[in-house]
Amino acid sequence: MTDDAAPHISFATRHRKVLLGGFSVAIFFIAWQATFLFVPFNPLFISKPNLILDSFVEMLFSGDLLHDLAVSGVPFLYGFTAAVVVGVSVGVVMGWRVRVGYALDPLMTVFYASPLVALAPLVIVFFGVGVSGKAIIIFLLSVFPFIFNTAAGVRAIDRLLINVVRSMGGTEKDLYLKVIVPGVLPYIVAGARIAVGRGLIGILVGEFFAASEGIGYAIARFGDLFALDKMFACILAIMIIAVVLTEGIRWAERAAFPWRIGQ
Amino acid sequence: MSAYIQGRNVNLTFRPPNRRPVRALQNFDIDVNEGEFLSIVGPSGCGKSTFLNVLLGLAKPDSGDIMLGGKRIEGPGTDRAMVFQEFGLLPWRTVQSNVELGLELKGVATETRREVSQRLIEMVGLVGFETHYPHELSGGMKQRVGLARALATDPDVLLMDEPFAALDAQTRDLMQVELLRIWQEAKKTVLFVTHQIDEAIYLSDRVMVMTKRPGQAKKIFAIDLPRPRDYEMRVTREFNDLKLEIWNELKDEITSR
Ligand SMILES: Nc1ncnc2c1ncn2[C@@H]1O[C@H](COP(=O)(O)OP(=O)(O)OP(=O)(O)O)[C@@H](O)[C@H]1O
Ligand SMILES: [Mg+2]
Repeated sequence: MTDDAAPHISFATRHRKVLLGGFSVAIFFIAWQATFLFVPFNPLFISKPNLILDSFVEMLFSGDLLHDLAVSGVPFLYGFTAAVVVGVSVGVVMGWRVRVGYALDPLMTVFYASPLVALAPLVIVFFGVGVSGKAIIIFLLSVFPFIFNTAAGVRAIDRLLINVVRSMGGTEKDLYLKVIVPGVLPYIVAGARIAVGRGLIGILVGEFFAASEGIGYAIARFGDLFALDKMFACILAIMIIAVVLTEGIRWAERAAFPWRIGQ
Repeated sequence: MSAYIQGRNVNLTFRPPNRRPVRALQNFDIDVNEGEFLSIVGPSGCGKSTFLNVLLGLAKPDSGDIMLGGKRIEGPGTDRAMVFQEFGLLPWRTVQSNVELGLELKGVATETRREVSQRLIEMVGLVGFETHYPHELSGGMKQRVGLARALATDPDVLLMDEPFAALDAQTRDLMQVELLRIWQEAKKTVLFVTHQIDEAIYLSDRVMVMTKRPGQAKKIFAIDLPRPRDYEMRVTREFNDLKLEIWNELKDEITSR
């Protein structure tokens, strides 16, 4: 390697992305906190960062928070796993078979674009408030990004690359392993990033309507009790999870698909 | 005795959905001897790439016979390899891994693959870029990866679709010399498509001029310049006479639209 020596750049320049991003997050919370120096604070209507943080730490150490998260995590795992399996399978067929794609695209678009959470009460009537009801809501919300992204990935496969592998004596299996899977995988992972956010909405909404435990239930109950510090602490927990999951996937994408960086 | 590669009355029409059919090859005839270096020149869109794809076994002609070593070409085979006009590198593979693709598909052991790819990467001047991805390469570099990849499996027949078009003039000269060396040492049969008449004359035993689309063999020129060829030949009287003759044949196809 004959890489040129990296020119000297300052710490601030090198980490400006993280620094600038962190800066606006900090400003947001400081502004929130500072507002109540000028505006009278009414704990029945709003909370402020220091109180939220106190509640968050308290609930974390009492184990309540982790319990609720675990209760919600189980249906999330089921629903999300089902969404991956079904979404990728349907997406492959829709992308590969042009006519199936034409036939299903409008219908799927309707489902994807519409606020499916509106169906949550119905799902709960059919399947109850247990794991299955919640898992189905999560599935319904997170399956469509997988379908659409997988189909787009399959459609984006370059015919020339298929021909290259075939011309070198590649078998059907080689086509899958060396062209189709590596071509589609990044699309699926990008779909997962969108699906995580939608799945989290699913769990919250499912538990808002009817549940006896879980993080969504906790948020709804603390809201009803005007325990806004605790309610916001639960929301904070969900936000942290959402950020960790989506950023984690983004990080994994960069690590696993270095060749996509330039695209 | 019939030729090593023999095409008779090859016809191929593309029928894209919702578009007018495009007739790419019409009654195309060709004879190539074993170990011969044959170049094909012809106007853009006349069917040169299409014909190479037929030889490679990727495109099926509508009618006509196309034989290789006495056997009808039914599909791809590892006796042939193509340097693709659009490179066709797998974006998720590094330079090295792209060069080794054919060997991998053949089930060659990793160690042998490494040896072969390293030798070819050296030959095409890409040492230091083994772990780079295609998007990190210039057009000329990508083209050289494609060249190394085709050579890696040591095919009997090398199909080269404007393999040096993206190279700068100096690299092109070097690659021409390397190609002639490999061709002479390994006794390969080469079909070489180019738009550069100089290049065609310099490299070939014969140069075929094709008509405009639908492509037909128009005229074949035997290049009787002695081998080994050297750079100075390009300024000889003989060379330039040939160049003019071929250009005159080609010119009519390009201007008579
Ligand atoms: N897959 C395809 N579908 C439809 N038409 C095609 C296809 N491939 C090639 N053609 C048409 O066939 C004709 C011959 O194409 P081909 O690629 O063989 O030309 P070429 O001689 O290699 O040209 P160039 O020198 O520009 O590379 C062109 O008119 C092109 O539009
Ligand atoms: Mg071409």
